[in-house]
Amino acid sequence: MKKPAKAKSTDGLWPLRFTLNGRKVSAKVQPTQTLLDFLRVEMGLTGTKGACLEGECGSCYVLVDGKPMNSCLMLAPQVQDRKVTTIEGFAHNQKLDVIQRKFVECGAVQCGYCTPGLVVAAKALLAENPHPTREQFLVGMEGNICRCTGYSQILRACKLAADEMGLKKK
Amino acid sequence: MFYQPKTVQEALDRKAELKERGTFIAGGTDIVVLMNHGKAAPENFIDLTHIPELRAIHRHNGTLELAGNVTYAQCGRLPVRCLAQASLSVGGPGIRELGTIAGNLATASPAGDGSVALLALDAEVELTSVRGARRLPLDKFFLSYRKTALAPDEMITKVLIPTNYRSDWLKNGKRGAMNISVVAAAVAITPQKQVRIALASVAATPIRCRQAEKFIARHGLGADAIRQAAELVRGEIKPITDHRASADYKTHLAGVMVRRLLENLVKE
Repeated sequence: MKKPAKAKSTDGLWPLRFTLNGRKVSAKVQPTQTLLDFLRVEMGLTGTKGACLEGECGSCYVLVDGKPMNSCLMLAPQVQDRKVTTIEGFAHNQKLDVIQRKFVECGAVQCGYCTPGLVVAAKALLAENPHPTREQFLVGMEGNICRCTGYSQILRACKLAADEMGLKKK
Repeated sequence: MFYQPKTVQEALDRKAELKERGTFIAGGTDIVVLMNHGKAAPENFIDLTHIPELRAIHRHNGTLELAGNVTYAQCGRLPVRCLAQASLSVGGPGIRELGTIAGNLATASPAGDGSVALLALDAEVELTSVRGARRLPLDKFFLSYRKTALAPDEMITKVLIPTNYRSDWLKNGKRGAMNISVVAAAVAITPQKQVRIALASVAATPIRCRQAEKFIARHGLGADAIRQAAELVRGEIKPITDHRASADYKTHLAGVMVRRLLENLVKE
C-alpha cells in the first residue's frame, strides 16, 4: 500500500489516484483541469465528448461511482478515490455492452457526437430502474441533447436494451 | 492551490486561514462553467466533495436536517413536495448528482430553484465557522443580487426544513429540461394554516411575497381573495426584461402561477 495522498498539493499539481474503467490510475494533474480534459488529453480517452462545457448537453457524461455526471463541470481531483467509467469501459472482451449494441441495431447514431453521453445516461438509468416507463426514459435522458434530433431511435434502442437486460435476468 | 479536506472541521480551518482567498467548490455547476468560459480560476479551491458528513440527511422532531452537500438527486427523493419537485426540475440527471443544496444557496442566483422552495418552507440555514455555528432564516440570508450573509470564514453546513407543511411548486421555463426558470413559484401552508409564497427570477434574489401572504392571513383562501392576492404578488415583484422574457410577461406569469398554486392547495 502506498501512503495516502496528502490533502494538499505541494508543487501545485494534484496527486490524483482513482479507478478508471476498472484500472487504478495515478497521475499528477493541474487541479483546475476539468475531468473531461483530463480524460481526453492526458488519458487519451476521446470517447467522452465536450460540446457546451456548461452542463446543458450531456455529451461529457461519465459514470462516477455508478452515477451519471457531467465531466466538463468536475475538476479532475474531485474523482480522487472514486470509480470512473467512460464509454471506453463499456465493452468487454471485444463485446459491446447491450446498450451500445442496441444503439447500433436501431440506427440510434447519426453524427455520433452525443452517443457516448446517451449510452452512459441510459446505463445509469437502467441500473437504477430496470423497467422504466416511456416517461421515466424521457426524464433519465433529459440531460442529453442530440442535435441530429434522432430521438425516436434513441428511445427505441434504450427500450430494447432494457427488454434484453430484463430477459437475461429471468 | 487545491485542498481536499476530509472533515468539516478541516475545511473550516482552511477557510479561516484563507478567507476570501479560499473558494469552496462542491458540484462546480456554476464556478466551472465560468472557468470553461474563460474566467480565471480562484486562487485556492477548497473541495467539499470528500466530506461524508456533508451528505447526511437527518430527521429530528419534524425537522429535516439536510447537510450542505446533499444533492438535488437526494432532495428529489424527499417527502417534501415543493422541494422534491423543484429539485427534479433542475438540469438533468448529471447536474442533479453534482449540484448541492448549499451550493444553490451560496451562489444566490435570482433563479435558484432550491432557494425558492426552501423560502416557502421557512427554511433555516446553519452557517458554521471556526468561531462557532449560527442559524439564520433563509430570507435573511439573501442580501442583494448574488450577495449573501455568509462571512468570509463561514460555510453553509445545514439546511433545516419542517416536514409538516403542505406545499406545491410550479416552474415556467423555455424548455422541458435543462431549464432555467422564466418564473418559478412555491407555496406552502403551515399546520396553523398560514400561507407562504415564494418566487424566483422576479427580483434580485429569490423572494417571499409578504404583502400577498398578509392579505391571505386576513382574507382567507376564497376565490376572490386568491385573485386579489395574485394581484398583490404582481405589485410586489420587480422582474427585469432579459433574454428569457420581458418584465411584463414575468409579472403576468407570476400572478397566474401563484393563483393556480393557491387554487390547487385549496382543492386538495
